[in-house]
Amino acid sequence: MQGQLKHQSKSQFKGLNQFILDLKNSIDQDEENKKINIEIENIRSKFNHNSLNGYQKKKYLCKIIYICLLGKSDIIDFGIKECFDLINSNVFSEKKLGYLAISVLLNNDNSKVSVKEKFNYILESVFNELIKDLKSQDEEFNCLAIQFICSVFNCSEDKVVITDSDSNAQDWLEIIDLVYACFTSPLQKTILRKKSAIALKLLLQIYPEVIISNNNWTPRLIKLIDEKDLGVIISSLPLLTFVLNLKPQFVKTIIPSISKHLFKIVVENKCNPEYYYYEIPAPWLIVKLLQFLEQSFLIANKEGEQVLSIDKLDNQSVFELRQVVAKSIQNASQPIKGLSNRNSQSSILFQAVSLAVFLEASPEAINGAINALLMLLNSNETNTRYLSLDALIKLFARSNSNYLASKEKFEENLILFVKLLNDKDISVRRKSLDLLYTICDISNYTSIINQLLEYFPTADFLLKSELAIKITILAEKFATDSTWYVTTMLKLLSIGGGSTSNGVGFISNEVWERIVQIVVNNEDLQKKTCSKIIIKLLKNPNGQFSENLIKVGAFVLGEYGDQINNIEDLNINIQFHLLFDAYFKVSLLTRAMLLSTFLKLLVKFPNANFVPDIVDLFEIESQSMDLEIQTRAHEYLKLSTLNTDFKLAKTVIKPFPIFNQLENPLMNRLGSVSKIIGLNRSRSKSLVLAQNIANKPVENSFSESLSNNWYAGYHRMLYFDAGIFYEDQLIKITYRVIKNNFDLTYIFTILNKSFKSIGANITSFTVLNIESLTQKNNPNYIIGLKNIPNKTIRDKSNMEIQIKIRNIIENNESPILSLTFQCGGSFNQLNLKFPVILLKSLTPSQITVSEFQNRWTQIGQLLGIEQGESSIEIDLSHRQNYSNIVRLLTRLGFYIVEDLNFKISGAGILHSQKSNYGLLIEVEVNEEICKHLRIVVRCTGGGVSDIISSTLKEILGKL
Amino acid sequence: MGIHFLLVLNRQGKSRLVKWFDNSYTNQQKSQYISEIHRLISSRDSKNQSNFIEFQSNKLVYRRYAGLYFISSIDLIDSELSYLESLHFFVEILDIYFNNVCEVDLVLNFYKLYYILDELYLGGEIQEISKKKILDRLEYLDSLN
Repeated sequence: MQGQLKHQSKSQFKGLNQFILDLKNSIDQDEENKKINIEIENIRSKFNHNSLNGYQKKKYLCKIIYICLLGKSDIIDFGIKECFDLINSNVFSEKKLGYLAISVLLNNDNSKVSVKEKFNYILESVFNELIKDLKSQDEEFNCLAIQFICSVFNCSEDKVVITDSDSNAQDWLEIIDLVYACFTSPLQKTILRKKSAIALKLLLQIYPEVIISNNNWTPRLIKLIDEKDLGVIISSLPLLTFVLNLKPQFVKTIIPSISKHLFKIVVENKCNPEYYYYEIPAPWLIVKLLQFLEQSFLIANKEGEQVLSIDKLDNQSVFELRQVVAKSIQNASQPIKGLSNRNSQSSILFQAVSLAVFLEASPEAINGAINALLMLLNSNETNTRYLSLDALIKLFARSNSNYLASKEKFEENLILFVKLLNDKDISVRRKSLDLLYTICDISNYTSIINQLLEYFPTADFLLKSELAIKITILAEKFATDSTWYVTTMLKLLSIGGGSTSNGVGFISNEVWERIVQIVVNNEDLQKKTCSKIIIKLLKNPNGQFSENLIKVGAFVLGEYGDQINNIEDLNINIQFHLLFDAYFKVSLLTRAMLLSTFLKLLVKFPNANFVPDIVDLFEIESQSMDLEIQTRAHEYLKLSTLNTDFKLAKTVIKPFPIFNQLENPLMNRLGSVSKIIGLNRSRSKSLVLAQNIANKPVENSFSESLSNNWYAGYHRMLYFDAGIFYEDQLIKITYRVIKNNFDLTYIFTILNKSFKSIGANITSFTVLNIESLTQKNNPNYIIGLKNIPNKTIRDKSNMEIQIKIRNIIENNESPILSLTFQCGGSFNQLNLKFPVILLKSLTPSQITVSEFQNRWTQIGQLLGIEQGESSIEIDLSHRQNYSNIVRLLTRLGFYIVEDLNFKISGAGILHSQKSNYGLLIEVEVNEEICKHLRIVVRCTGGGVSDIISSTLKEILGKL
Repeated sequence: MGIHFLLVLNRQGKSRLVKWFDNSYTNQQKSQYISEIHRLISSRDSKNQSNFIEFQSNKLVYRRYAGLYFISSIDLIDSELSYLESLHFFVEILDIYFNNVCEVDLVLNFYKLYYILDELYLGGEIQEISKKKILDRLEYLDSLN
């Protein structure tokens, strides 16, 4: 009864109340529909008489809104005119209801194809009224127009974008200008400014060019953060976030004001009493401001670099923010009564912890926070466990914490995390999975993946698919041992359970497809995978088997099964029977795959015993009810019986080409964890190194496994200072050597060739190692990577290597450059040797013929022939023009002292940090187009002449 | 984008307040979401489960008051607890405004709820956080003609 009295006093329309209660008392849906239809007819006829007053129009439109909200909007096809009557009224309550009614009616209109079309249609319909009310002197009218804008022109980012070229861009601009004026005018009341701040954000979001091309607005908008009214501040934050994401260069300027606000409220406790919520001052504002800062540290510019870091902030702000974070954490440890107080306090705590990483808290402080959060994981309150997990995910992802570095700590906590994987709340279970995904690294991936595999059978239906995706990504990311990778993935597939007749299971198709891609792209995995699959299938002949395993089996054995035919227990007959036995137990989709496999086996082994079985199967299945199966069987039957040499069939089943997918498609299905973390700071860097699934090279083993075709580039580099260093189908590396006495700079340019051919980027490009083969103690040269190439190479990227020659370098000391990169789904590693030789330090020395002769003699006298001279005879592989030889010597750095009668004398200086050496050379040839050379080298450094002559022999002998 | 939508559902799944701040949903999606969300939330037990759950690549924050679920959908990066407490703030405003609010108040004054939301969460964003200011404002608006 009390309720009845109450709403009668508050509600204005008795008839409306009656109608609602009447509908509520309907016995069933039919009766309700009947009542609604009667009322609609009633309202329609009322609207046809033009004599309704404002009250009546309000009442009937309210009923229409109510009917729409019941989900019956499709039967309302009238009332728009009455809405406009009310909007055009000067009575506040009429105008207000008019706007509400029109927003409901226009928004429920499902006839528009796209959201953009709907927005444009609404703007067009209400444009004149909006302009009038935005320009009105009555600020409540301004408010109504702005509220209408906020409730109809709002949608998640990027779905609607108006551009300058749109035909109605001018109308949007006019509205935006008026809203902007409402927001920035200091004369306006705060209520209007709050509302217009939100409206402006929504409008700019659908028409971003307005703010992108406008440099005057941003500084004025930024100033609004200095506002005193806390309501204006909180309403402006979404606008500022949006604008600063577009113009990251302004982020820095806004931080001092935000720090001041936070410091004032949190640390100094200065807050208008109106803004206290129970005992906490403005908790929502604090959280929003802290979140604003957190997100600011994550904003990246076009180059992908974060625009804000602690060293870019002023000392005062850093001091204030650190205080704010410390105080928030401290406050949370104070006991406080009441759920509202506790919730507010904790919301501030968790937000502050998320920010702490960016304020360069000491490692001890970070580990302290992690420790505190880990304790909270044992809390009885589910919300607390959930939020602590969330905060831990952020902390681990964003900091370089060594908290779990020790084996004991890791194992101790792993038990806790696994316990939470079995929490009663699926939200907590999901977060624990995300946490394990986040902390997984090269040191612990095997234990984490094993835990996840163990968890898989008991995991929720809803989580299984996510779980499978995460396991697949982690295994691919960290695997350094191909056998481990194959074993792990096949285990996942075999425990992944069966699937329905449509082939739908817990494990999404992307997972097994990805495994197939990796096997195709990594040759050394193919045999291993074949044998592992056969062994898995053999173990379980009649029991349950995983359809996903059969799918991979169908593909992999069909393509590569012949490679292990020579192993007795795994021969092709066994392979065939395993797949053949599975045939009628699997879904149609898998059967279709198996049919293709059988065709491949038939073509590869035309004389095998199983061939008649295959032909029989094709025959039977060409009568199949399923169109796909029937078509395949029929076509394969024809292919396998048409010619005896399978000429046509052979062209159909050519070996599978390498997959060229740009990146792991599973990353898109990773779920929420990637969004929560934001930009991966340091963590991603450490992970990328280990992406080669092929057997991890042992230290110093690079030299044994130089890539094919390495020598051509190496040889060219011995005597040319620019050119092509390496080239294959995917990549081309060019080089330039800049010589400055004993300082050498090698600039390598990596060009992505695959982009042209297959449209793929080169990703995860990593300089794995530069292995210098000089001695470690007192090395003859020092080598350093000065400039690393980009990780992702779309076009090209540079790499700079610096070398300092300290002492005499022997000819076998040249370094090996090891690079890894991904392209499409393939992992690639290059081990390339490049020359670091003494001859590269040669500079010409301009001396006369007589000086040359003097020095020549001097060296002979001082060092003797044994130490000072080296002479060699070289047979060229191709005839060379005499002048080419002269040019080559010049290019190497010799000054040509004399060039007479097929005899060349050259002079130069070899540089090292320790000492310089004079170098003289005489080259004799027998004819103009020569095939035979005789070279004598003399050098002031004992034994150096031998080194130089052997370098020359390598250069000339293989020209 | 702040709150995507705010729902008040009773235990039977009837909606008592539905506000779609995000206008990109189709009518079909809207009714589908309401029934999915009701199924999801009414099956969760309040003792052992949190007030948060992921839904449609966002997350729901919800709390039960007597026979009504108050639910809002927020971005993954937004603070669950902050929005959870904001729902309570909204309930407190309703309670004072309707003088001890009950389900029938919400049903009969459905259009007024939209006016109230416009003072708290305009366009899904938090517009005001002072209880006194909001209540003063609502009183003032009621006094206009």
